[in-house]
Amino acid sequence: MAEPPDGQPCVGVFARAWAKAVAGTSYLPMTHAQLEMLLQRLTNLLAEALRAEPLDLRVGHRVANELVAAHIASAEALGRTVEVIQLRLVRDLDLVADDIEDRLARLLGAVATGYARALRDRTLDEQESIRRAAMTARAEAEQALRASEARFRHQATHDPLTDLPNRTLFAERLAAAVTGSAGSGRRVGLCFLDLDRFKRVNDSFGHQIGDRALVAAARRLRRAVEPHLVARLGGDAFVVLVERSTGTGDVVAVAEAALAALSEPVVVDGHDVTVTASVGIVERRVVGTSPDDLMRAAGSTLLWAKAAGGAGWALYDAERDSREQARQELSAAIPAGLERGEFFLDYQPLTSLHDGSVLGVEALVRWRHPRLGVLRPDSFIGLAEETGLIVQLGGWVLAEACREAVGWTSASGQPPYVSVNLAVRQVRRPGLVQEVRALLRRTGLPPNRLQLEITESTMMTTSEEPVRALRALAALGIRIAIDDFGTGYSNLAYLRDLPVTELKVAGEFVRGLRTPDALADERILASLVSLAHALDLTVTAEGVETGGQAERLRAIGCDAGQGWHFGRPAPPDHILARIR
Amino acid sequence: MSLRRPDWAPETIDVERPSVARMYDYYLGGSHNFAVDRAAARAMVAAVPQAPLMAQANRAFLRRAVQFLTDAGIRQFLDIGSGIPTVGNVHEIAQRHAPESRVVYVDIDPVAVAHSREILAGNDRTAVIQEDLRNPEQILANPDVRAMLDFSQPVAVLVVAVLHFVSDDDRPAEVLRALRSALVPGSYLVLSQASDDGRDETERAEAEEVYRRTDNPLWVRGRAELTGFFDGFELVEPGVVWVPQWRPETPESAEDAERAVFLGGVGRLGG
Ligand SMILES: C[S@@+](CC[C@H](N)C(=O)[O-])C[C@H]1O[C@@H](n2cnc3c(N)ncnc32)[C@H](O)[C@@H]1O
Repeated sequence: MAEPPDGQPCVGVFARAWAKAVAGTSYLPMTHAQLEMLLQRLTNLLAEALRAEPLDLRVGHRVANELVAAHIASAEALGRTVEVIQLRLVRDLDLVADDIEDRLARLLGAVATGYARALRDRTLDEQESIRRAAMTARAEAEQALRASEARFRHQATHDPLTDLPNRTLFAERLAAAVTGSAGSGRRVGLCFLDLDRFKRVNDSFGHQIGDRALVAAARRLRRAVEPHLVARLGGDAFVVLVERSTGTGDVVAVAEAALAALSEPVVVDGHDVTVTASVGIVERRVVGTSPDDLMRAAGSTLLWAKAAGGAGWALYDAERDSREQARQELSAAIPAGLERGEFFLDYQPLTSLHDGSVLGVEALVRWRHPRLGVLRPDSFIGLAEETGLIVQLGGWVLAEACREAVGWTSASGQPPYVSVNLAVRQVRRPGLVQEVRALLRRTGLPPNRLQLEITESTMMTTSEEPVRALRALAALGIRIAIDDFGTGYSNLAYLRDLPVTELKVAGEFVRGLRTPDALADERILASLVSLAHALDLTVTAEGVETGGQAERLRAIGCDAGQGWHFGRPAPPDHILARIR
Repeated sequence: MSLRRPDWAPETIDVERPSVARMYDYYLGGSHNFAVDRAAARAMVAAVPQAPLMAQANRAFLRRAVQFLTDAGIRQFLDIGSGIPTVGNVHEIAQRHAPESRVVYVDIDPVAVAHSREILAGNDRTAVIQEDLRNPEQILANPDVRAMLDFSQPVAVLVVAVLHFVSDDDRPAEVLRALRSALVPGSYLVLSQASDDGRDETERAEAEEVYRRTDNPLWVRGRAELTGFFDGFELVEPGVVWVPQWRPETPESAEDAERAVFLGGVGRLGG
């Protein structure tokens, strides 16, 4: 086999042709010069193989692998390579051998086989890696989505200020605690907690410090009641859920831990912020209750704790709750009752102790409740006063009393006046004077036949308004009486300045007269009467139940009496029968 | 991973939908692609027979540009729209001559990003982030970018074969201005994009039709527009040209250059 004198130029010619053939078959990440250098090296390998004995087919595989590794890796590149080797290698390199055709064919076969195999391996590897990348990307995206969902869920279920669970999460957990274990005899407890007078912290330190105090309180609470769920319901209201309670004691312990944790002052921005809290506790069997029930009960109980002065807990009391609920319902029914005419008046005589004549009658309101029967004022007036409904109700009583009284005539000449109670709210309301004046005009009742009873506390006010209103009413000729005198401050000084015509002395003093040796009461009464007379006021004693009491009162100089002894409250026709 | 809710939900990592990154890999002769990608790429080749050549010419332009930058002393690269790391990646080119070179790859395609991460694991002079070119502030503020690149030193920003996926509505000029404002003098900008200069109208329409199937519809531009994107930079020779004409290695390789469809150029931030 003839060795060419200088192989290199021939190798170069072939390698250039080879490079040209494969350029553009796929992207080759190298310069053309680099490509030619690589192919020159491979050409040398092929040439050596063709010259060597025996023919080493592994060279063909090696060349193929190197091509594919260098990214000369496409079907086109293989085709062109086979073509250029077949056509030019032997000629360009001037290779001479008897069996050169044969050797070339076998070597080319090895190159093609090796190339196809390397290309397939490469394809499979790339497919695997892109598939893995797609899986990774999907997993990452799903994880990011889950993370963001978890974050959204956290945001939706937690209070942004304190990071405590919020109402939503609490409601979920409570519902699960109540419904999830129905029938199992399990118990559940709630501590409804509210900071006492927290508004004051905000007012005196500002909201920023208020908020930070809340955050501090929340953190303490959480730690104190762990592992129980504590949620912020808004403002300064929190609630602790005690699942699987074994009894009231468990929940009371939680409430006490919470109160203790909160009682330490918090230092915020150098300010000592002290907060106390009130807790309403409910603890009961899961069976037969509902989240709404529990929350409502805990809410009412919290109000009891607050009403008791705060800084403590109260335990739910079903009896008290139902009593209050009944009252609530009753007061809510007042407006409809007025509309449907369920209220009516009874009258009780105010009788002269001198001659036994009926001087006046006190109008007393009753409610013919469709379900509860006839109710006396003590079961609903207090409620009406609390809710403000007293203005409406009192207005009706006043109008009704005037309307009825105007038709009364007396055989003895002067018919009795009608005495109507005025609540504090009514007296304080602007427009009272016009209302009464219009009422008198409408009904035609002479002003001196109307007496308005007010309580001492009505006058215990710094405001001038009520006094001015009473003066105006008195100036119309209306009688003004102080009701229940002696039970309040009994400050006689203000009577001097007020347009009062009569004192109604509370029944307590009169009750004392029953026992023969109740000297103190009798003396008090006697001096009250002489004082009233000195101020030009008449005195009516309330709660006169016996003839003996009446006798004594007359002896003291009391002007009139009211009570069972003189007549129980009765419908207007009974009274009319007495005065005719 | 950022805690921001990703705009891409898992369903967008959908191998049922062709990805321009994987179609590009196919044009370059790679197998990092799925059947949908190949189908779309073949449709593209049917419409524009030289599409693989275009991709190869663009990739070769990228190689020569990075080589040029490396020779010019640049050691930091921000490659936005970097694609599937197939062959001839920026860090391979740069680190061959200057091993200290640092490269950050940015792509919007989560699969391309995941693949890049796998390929680059262990190369501590590279980083990969998933971001959108259209949020340049996010890219610049990304902690991985900040950790890898020192913006008090020159940086080469590569936006190669990406701008034709950014419509005028997305204000590419403003995007590039934002990137420029982060660079110190001596930094570079490399741009290339598919052009409609002298193109056949129906061919273009068909190509656009193919890319409408992907998440990245085509938005081709002319030489004047691309030149405008270099606002603030001084174009290095030979300016904005058909990519094979940009500093060709051999005179022949620049022949029939307009068949490459891609225009490209390199600008230097002066001052
Ligand atoms: C044709 S490839 C170019 C790859 C490489 N730069 C090159 O020239 O060889 C385009 C790449 O840009 C990415 N891309 C498209 N729109 C993008 C955007 N708004 N932000 C970032 N990458 C984007 C695609 O996912 C794809 O990987």
